[in-house]
Order: sequence, then structure tokens, then C-alpha cells
Amino acid sequence: MLVYREKDNLIHKLHPFTLIFYIGIVFLLSLVFNHPIYLLGLFLAVGAVIIAGGHFSEWKVYLKFSVTMIIIIMVINAIFVQAGDTVLLVGPRVPVLGKIVITLEALAFGAGMGIRLLVMISIFCLYTYAVHPDKALKLFSRLGNKSVLVITLSTRLFPLMVRDFQRITEVQRCRGVKLDTGRWWERAKNLLPVISVLLLSCLERSLQLAESMHARGYGSGSRSYYSRELWRPRDYLILSALIIGLISGLWAALKGWSTYSYYPRLTLFNPGELKTAVIVVITLAVPAILNWGWKKWPLLRSKI
Amino acid sequence: MAFIKIKNLTYYYPDNKNPALDSISLEIPEGQFVLVVGGSGSGKSTLIRAIAGLVPDFYGGTYGGKVYLDNKEIKQLDRRSLVQQVGMVFQDPESQLVMTNVEQEVAFGLENLGLSNSLMKRRVMEVTSAMALSDYFHSFTPELSGGQKQKVALASVLAMQPDILLLDEPTSQLDPIAGEEILTMIRRLNEENGITVVLIEQRLERCFHLADRVLVMDKGKIIFDHHAPDTISRWAVKNNTSFIPPLAKLFAGVGFSEVPTTVKQGREILKSYYPLLNFSTETPTRAEKTKKSQKSSGETIIDIQNLWFTYPNGQEALKNINLKIISGDFVVIMGENGAGKTTLMKNINGLLKPGRGRVKVLNRDTKKLSVEELASTVGNLSQDPNDYLFLPTVGEELFFTLKNLGLTDDGNCEEILDRLQLTPYVDSNPRDLSTGERQRVALASVLAAKPKLLLLDEPTRGLDYRLKEELGDILLQLQREGIAILVITHDVEFAAEYADDIVLMAEGSIIARGNKYEMLSGSTFYSPQISKLFNNIADNVVTLNQGKEILSKIMELSKDEALSV
Repeated sequence: MLVYREKDNLIHKLHPFTLIFYIGIVFLLSLVFNHPIYLLGLFLAVGAVIIAGGHFSEWKVYLKFSVTMIIIIMVINAIFVQAGDTVLLVGPRVPVLGKIVITLEALAFGAGMGIRLLVMISIFCLYTYAVHPDKALKLFSRLGNKSVLVITLSTRLFPLMVRDFQRITEVQRCRGVKLDTGRWWERAKNLLPVISVLLLSCLERSLQLAESMHARGYGSGSRSYYSRELWRPRDYLILSALIIGLISGLWAALKGWSTYSYYPRLTLFNPGELKTAVIVVITLAVPAILNWGWKKWPLLRSKI
Repeated sequence: MAFIKIKNLTYYYPDNKNPALDSISLEIPEGQFVLVVGGSGSGKSTLIRAIAGLVPDFYGGTYGGKVYLDNKEIKQLDRRSLVQQVGMVFQDPESQLVMTNVEQEVAFGLENLGLSNSLMKRRVMEVTSAMALSDYFHSFTPELSGGQKQKVALASVLAMQPDILLLDEPTSQLDPIAGEEILTMIRRLNEENGITVVLIEQRLERCFHLADRVLVMDKGKIIFDHHAPDTISRWAVKNNTSFIPPLAKLFAGVGFSEVPTTVKQGREILKSYYPLLNFSTETPTRAEKTKKSQKSSGETIIDIQNLWFTYPNGQEALKNINLKIISGDFVVIMGENGAGKTTLMKNINGLLKPGRGRVKVLNRDTKKLSVEELASTVGNLSQDPNDYLFLPTVGEELFFTLKNLGLTDDGNCEEILDRLQLTPYVDSNPRDLSTGERQRVALASVLAAKPKLLLLDEPTRGLDYRLKEELGDILLQLQREGIAILVITHDVEFAAEYADDIVLMAEGSIIARGNKYEMLSGSTFYSPQISKLFNNIADNVVTLNQGKEILSKIMELSKDEALSV
């Protein structure tokens, strides 16, 4: 089912392009950066926007899941990567891997990559809960009309198929088809009637759908695009901030400030190199800051 | 504005030797409201598809003759201008909506026409507010009700501003209230906007009086075409076709001089005979007596005691239900959507287990039985027969049930096939059969297990009068054999004609149970047209036969009176 729910905050009242642009930039920067402080900055900025969008409870679930993943990544990285000078633990000799040596650098590298994973999972969460799939698709429909329609149709038909499946299962169970008892291969075999009926119904339905589309002139010539999305000052403000953030991020990457070498030995951070990180965080947190102002001052709300 | 002219149209679907349309010639002037009736496979749907250009454009096949819109042959029109003149709404709302929300759906056709954004915005706004869809403007399509979906389908066609609106049984999948709303909208469009309407519909009691003209089709031909309801009704009674509403059938059936199409007209006709209207209420009492004598001898099939059921999401769907059904009972459960009817049925067939209280089937507690164990006692026929059918032949469908339940065929299958008139189709693919036949195959596959109780969920949905009669007769026959029958339906006319008892449900509780005479005749909304007609004129009149009896009496009395004068 559709998880998007319209909420009363600035994040939900942005032009879909602004939000998608935001998500795209954070995604790009999370790939470009490998400095843990820069990645942490991205994480904080996205977190602020998610909370401003009213999705803290959903985000928590994503975080719990990703923290487990990060721990696994750290452990695996520490076991398999023997580089690094600061040895924390020397384990027994294991066939194939040789002697297990756990270094601080390998653990730190795992943690750094973990933060990158957190950023990516968080923007995925933001996309899922704050962007209406239809609006996102509409933006792309100018690029590939037919494939977009296929995605739209699947979004629309999936809940229908789930319902059909449940109904057909019930009908067949009432006919004595055993789907709850017996061994798994028997149950799988017994699912065959349900799947057959579902397939036949889907075929019939797709034919009817095609007919209805034909009757409404689909494929009768070039299409136009319906859109009622409006641009507001808030979109321009956020887009400008994003562009500044993008340029500073790329500048830091070019200068090598946003890269950090974990091996052979962890080094101290150079405070001068972290100044751009502050700029990136502030610019990427602009939607959250504006949302705060939007809620606090009605005057600002009317102006942006 | 456009008028339709069809000249000598013959059409064969691909790989089909029988014509779907056979030499049709027809003219429909602009602004006319045409109702097309006929059995399944009579060519109604094909006819309107030919007007929309879908036949042969979408279906292929062999085509002869010509269809004109405003004197232009539709073959010469490009598709874009054709779809702007002719809009079509289909039967199943689920199978015609493409987009995920209402606004986008209404705009879909406009986008296909390549209209400018500003024009689209205007049209979408106009149509959604005219059809009271503004509240659902941004709603996710799968979350709408059936009626709302069909309204969206209609709106998306109307946004294209067609001159002609073709509708293929638009209300057949909806409950009566939603169906009525759609029909009212169609009438308004015809009356206020002058849109030409060609409507295929089964619920004639709701639209017969709306039409300017009725076409009756059979085997691809138009066998009757008239505008006067009484002429059509008399013709229908004479030719023994069932495609007239109950009221018209009643009056024309006894050869009454006038034939009404609405209850209001009918009551006015009866009022003119007012001094003669003085009837006793013998019929129901007699019926009740016979029923009571039957009842005492029956075996208890279902015994529900203090049943409560709550869904995992906290919705309390059944509240303190007590219901007893004995063999040979024919009970109809009625009530609004969400009243708990289906939940009750699922508690009986074991798909759901009681939260509190007890459901006993043949004195065994359903809590201790699986659905599969109950399946041989409780037969279950759901709304859509297609949910049953997947095997290559009708015969295999029956044996599939037997195999599942570990039963052997003792000649019962043959008997069932024979009784449901399916013997000729035993080797046919059930999916190739007509709607009524498919339903009978599904019913046969349920009856193969010799159940003691038959549960039917909206069995008359999408059936025409003839098929309904056939189904009703089969059920009565099963009832006589001692099978208990429990039907959920919104179809008051069906309940009035065939049921013994009516159970009314609301908000998870049973509000009332009683015999149909007392339950249906005293009600404003849950009563058939015949009861409404005789309300305060004769008591407890519910069935067509009762109505006929009274009308015949009136005719005799008025004859006597005329002679004495």
C-alpha cells in the first residue's frame, strides 16, 4: 500500500523537484565524501530534514535496522582487513585467513563506511515517506513516458493483486484445498490452483485495462503532461542553498579535504579542512531550518 | 452534437463462426437516452463497442457494414477525434482505472489528447466538482469504494467532453445505493447537458423509466425497438422474455390495461380502483404456517451463540450474534456495507474463528475444526465464479473438489451437472462459458461435496433477470432437498421472491429476524417494488405471485362492476 501520507509541514509542501534534487545531492555527496566528519555532517542534515518532515518514528525503524548492519560491516571489515598499525587484538590462526589481527584502523574504516550507509538509508527513508510516488513519476514522465506508465500501473495494481490473492485463497480453502497444513512442498503444490486463477484473472484484467486506455485515446498521438505543482519562494531558497552546498562539497572533494586515509595509522583531523563541512551541513539543513521558522512565525509562512 | 447511424452492421470476433452482431441497422438521434437489454452473449456489449470504434479497432475480427457519427463514417475519423465524441464507461471499476489517484485519473484522457496544461486544469476542476469528487481529489485509487471508483471512471470520460456516452453495465459490480447514484448522474447528464446516452443495464427497475427508448437484443440482432414502456412490457410478456422490471412484468403479466414503470405510476393506477381495494391478508399467514410445520422437523445445521468477533486492527465486526439455521431454511442476510455480513459468513465457514461465544456446525464447535474439515458440510459460493475456475474442463472442476475432500463420486457429479444443465459442457473449458454458466459450474463444484449448508455471497451481482430466475429456482430445489441456504445480498427483489426468512444486520449486530412478509413489506428501503406498490393498499404483499393474485382480483371486480353498471 501507499506509505506516503500528506503532513502539515514545509517539507511536504515543497515542489517535488526540490525534494528530489535534495535527495539527489545528498546521495551524490555521500558517494564523493569519505571523511567521517563530512559523512556525519550529511547524516545530521538529512536527519534534521526527516524530523522536520514528521517522520522520526519511521526513521527510527530504519536506523535500528542499519545499526545492526553497521556492526556486521565493522566486524567483517576488522576480521578480513589486516591493514593498520594499531593492533588491538591478536586472535588464533584460522585456515584460509591466516592469523586474525584486529586493528583500530580497520574498525574505524568500518565505522566510517557505516555512516555512509546510514546517510543512504536515511535518504531512502525520506524519499519513501516524504515524496508522493506519483509526483516523482510525473517529473520523470517527460523522459520515458511508457516505462513511467508501467510503474504507475504496477503501483495501482499491486494492492488489487494482493486482495485478489487473499480472496482466491479463501475460496479455494473452502473447496478443501489445504494451504495451512501438510509439508511445505504439499502446501506449495496446493498453491497452484490459487496462482492459476490469479494469473487468469490478471490476464483478463489487463486486457480490459488496455481497452479502457484505448477508449480514452491512449496512444492516439503525442501526449501532454498535466501538472498542478506550484513554485514558491521556499523552493528557490532551498534550491539556492543546495547549489551552494553542492559547490562547496565538490570544492572540498577537489581539494582533498573530504577524504581521509584510515591506513596505515589514524591521523588527527585538520580543523581547517573541516570548515567546508560546516557550510555543507548548514546549506543541507536549510529545509529543516525553514520549516522551523515556518512553524514559528506565521509572517514567514505567508512570505515563503 | 452527434447522432449515430448504423447500417447493416455484421461482426465476427476473431476465430468465431457465429456473428456477434448480425445485420444491425439503427439510428439514434442526438440527446436520446437508449437502454439496451438482452441476455449475456446477445451482442449488447459488442454493439456499443462498435459505436466506440473498439470493434474492430481493438478486437480485430471480421467487420461488414458501416457506422456513422454525424454522417461521417467512423473508420474515416482519426482516433483522437473519435474518443472526443464518444466516451465509454465499462463494467468493472477495478479494470478501467490506470492512475494512482483521482486527479491524475481524470487528467489521463486529457493528456492522451495532448491538451494544454491550463485547459486540463480547468476541465479536471470542473468535472471533479460537478461529480462531487473534490473530497477524494488526492485519494489513492485502491483505497476508494467501488462506487467512488466508478464515479472516477465516469468523470475521467466526461472530462473529455464527449457528445455520446456509452455505458456497459456500469452498476453491476456496485451495491444498490452506489448504483443508484451513478444512474442518477447519468440521467442528469442526459437531461441537463443533452448528452446522448446508450446504457446497457440489468437493474431495469432503476432505469427503465429513464430511457426514451429500449432496444432488446438477442443473438446479435435487435429483436425489439420501441419507446413506449407498456408496448415493450406487453411484447416481453407475450414472448416470455424476462427483460422488463418487476412492476411492468406484474401489470403486463395479468393483462392489465395500463402498465406502469415506477411505483408512483403504479400506485396512481391502483388508486383509480380504490373502492375495490379491500383485501384480507391470508397469504402470509398461510405461508408462515407451512413454514412453521417444516421448521419443527428440521435438523439444526448452524447454531451460533453469543458470537463476538474483533479484527486484529481492533475493529469490532460482530457483536453478540445469536442465529440458528435448520435444514431446509432459506435465510437472506441484508444490511449496509460494513454491517458484518461477510464476517459472519467467514465465522460460519471457519475462515475466521470466534473471539467469544460459539459457532456450532452440526453440533461441532468450529474452533476445533479447520476450514478444510468444514468444507464438506459448508458449501461456499463467492461473488465471482472466476475465483473457482482454473481447470481445462467443467468435469475436472467437480472432481477437483471431491479429490480435495477425499470423497469419491457415487454418480452425484453426473446428477448435479444434469440438474444445473451443464451436461453438454462437461468437456468445455469453464472460462469460455457465459456468466450464468460459469456461476453454475462454480455452484456445481461446491455441490459436488454434498454440503448440508450452502453459503452464497452476493450471488445475483451482475446477473440478468433470466439468470437470477434460474439461480433462484435451483436454490429452491436444493432447499426442498433439505439443504439449508444462507445468502448475503443487497438484492431486495431476489430476497422477496425466494427467501423464507430475512436477517437484518447493522454495525455488527442482528437488528431483526423474521419471515419475509413481515420484514420486507413494512420497510421503506428494504422492500421490493411490489411491496412499495401495495403499501397501505394490501398488507404483506411481497412476491410477484401475490401481486398477480391481487391484480387479477381487481380486474375481475372491475369487470363485474362494469357489467352491473
